[in-house]
Amino acid sequence: MIADFAITLGERILIFLRSLGEIGLLFRKVIKEIPDRPLHLRLTVEQIYHIGIKSLGIVFVTAFSTGMVMALQFGLGLEKFGGKLYVPKIVSLSIVREIAPVFCSLMLAARVGAGIASELGSMTVTQQIDAIRALGTSPIKRVVIPRILASIISVPLLVALGNLLGILGAMVVSVSELGLDPMFFYQKILTTLVVTDFLAGLFKCFVFSFFISVTACYFGLNVKGGTQGVGSATRGSVVTSSILILVGDFFLTKLIFIVVGT
Amino acid sequence: MTNEVVAEFREFKKSFGTKVVHKGVSFALHKGECLGLLGGSGQGKSVILRSLIGLEKPDSGQVLIDGEDIVPMTEDQLISIRKKVAYVFQNGALFDSMSVYENLAYPLRAHTRMGEDEIRERVISQLAEFGLQGNELLSPADLSGGMQKRVGLARSIIMQPKIVLYDEPTAGLDPYNTIRIQEMILGLKERGVSAIFVTHDMPSAFAVCDRIALLLEGRIQAVGTREQLESQPNSKLTRFVKGLEV
Repeated sequence: MIADFAITLGERILIFLRSLGEIGLLFRKVIKEIPDRPLHLRLTVEQIYHIGIKSLGIVFVTAFSTGMVMALQFGLGLEKFGGKLYVPKIVSLSIVREIAPVFCSLMLAARVGAGIASELGSMTVTQQIDAIRALGTSPIKRVVIPRILASIISVPLLVALGNLLGILGAMVVSVSELGLDPMFFYQKILTTLVVTDFLAGLFKCFVFSFFISVTACYFGLNVKGGTQGVGSATRGSVVTSSILILVGDFFLTKLIFIVVGT
Repeated sequence: MTNEVVAEFREFKKSFGTKVVHKGVSFALHKGECLGLLGGSGQGKSVILRSLIGLEKPDSGQVLIDGEDIVPMTEDQLISIRKKVAYVFQNGALFDSMSVYENLAYPLRAHTRMGEDEIRERVISQLAEFGLQGNELLSPADLSGGMQKRVGLARSIIMQPKIVLYDEPTAGLDPYNTIRIQEMILGLKERGVSAIFVTHDMPSAFAVCDRIALLLEGRIQAVGTREQLESQPNSKLTRFVKGLEV
C-alpha cells in the first residue's frame, strides 16, 4: 500500500515537472514569436478588457478585506503590548511587499487563469486551434500572445490598485476599530513606504502574470478527452499557477533582498 | 483529371501510444482528382488528412505535396503548404468569437495584402456562391449544422487552394444540405481542384469521387473506380461498401 502510494506520488511529481518543462517550452515559443507581425493589438486590447477591467471587482474585494483583516489582527494582537501604533507601518509594508501581490495574483490565477484555460481548451476540443494552424496562421501569435501581453499589462496595474485598496481597508479598520487618528495613519505610511517597496511588489506580480497566463495557455492548448478534459485543464491551470506563485514568491523575495538589500 | 501527382503518401507509419494505427500507408492523389478514403471508425482516416497539412507527423514515411516532403518542415515552412492545401473540418471549426464575415476574412487578412473593400467584395461573393448571403453578421452559434459546414468549406477555399481535404463533410446532414455540399465539391472539381474525401456516406462518395480507396488494418487495401467496384463484387472494397464483412 505504501509502495503504491509512493509510485502514485512519484508519477504525479513527474507529470508536474513535465508540465513545467512544457510550459517553459511554450514560453520560449512566445518570446520567439512576439516580435513577428502582425501584432494583433485589437485582440490584446480586448483581452485587457476581459483580464483587467473585468477583474476589478475581485481585486477590490480581495485587497480591501485583506487590509481590514490584517489591521484588526495586528491591532488587537499588539494592543496588549502597547504596540497598536505600529499597525500602519506593519500592515502597509506587508500589503505592498507581499499580501497584495500574492493574494491578488492568486485570485487572478483562479479567475483569469481558469478563464483562459477553459476558453482555449474549448477551442482545442472544437478544432478551432487546428483551424488556426490549418489556415496557415499561428495559434501562439493569434491566441496566446494577446493573452500574455494583456496579463503582463493588467496584473501589475490591478495589484497597484490592490495596494491602495488594501491600505485603505486597513485605515478604515484602524480608525473605526482601533481608534487611530487617520492623519497619524497617513503620515506613518508616508514615512514607512519607499518606492522600492512598491517596485518590489510590482516586479513580483509582473513575474506572476507570466505564471498565470503562460500556464493557463499551456493547459488550454493541451486539452485531451473532450469536455471532461477542459475541466481537468482548468483545474490543472489554477493549481499549477498557484503553486508557481507561492513557491516563486519565496525565491523572488530572496532575490529582491539580495538586489535591493532591505 | 491528369496523371500528375499532387500529393503522395509513402510508407506512412504512425502509432498512438502502443496502438499501431498506420502500418505503411501508400497512395497518390492526381491533379483534378477527387479520391474517396473509406475505412472503419478508428482506422486513422482523419490522421491521414491532418498529416497532409502537417497537423500530425508520422513516426516514419513521407508525405509529399507537389513532390516536396512536408514531414521535416517546421510550422513556419508549413505555412506555404497550408496556403495551397485546405482542410474542411468535420464540424466546420468556425471561430466562435467571430462573425461569419470575420471567419471568411481571416485567411485573406493573414495572407494577402488586400484592402478592406477588396476583402469585403471577395467574402460577400464567396458567401453568395455557397448560398449564404445575408448571414455575414451572424455568429457561428446562430447557424444550423449544415450552414456551419458550408461556411467552413467557404472559409477553407477562399484562398483558392490546389488541394482540398474533406473530413466527413456530409456527416449528420439532411439530404438538402448533403446535396448542396456535393454540388460545391463538384464545382471545385470542375475548376481542377484535387481533393481527398473522407466519409462514411457512400452515396456522396459515389457522387463526387473519381476513385475510392479503402484504409483497413493500417494499410490501403484497395483502390478503384466505381466501375471497377461494380465489376469486382467480391473485392474487399466492394464488400466494405456493401456493408459485408471484409
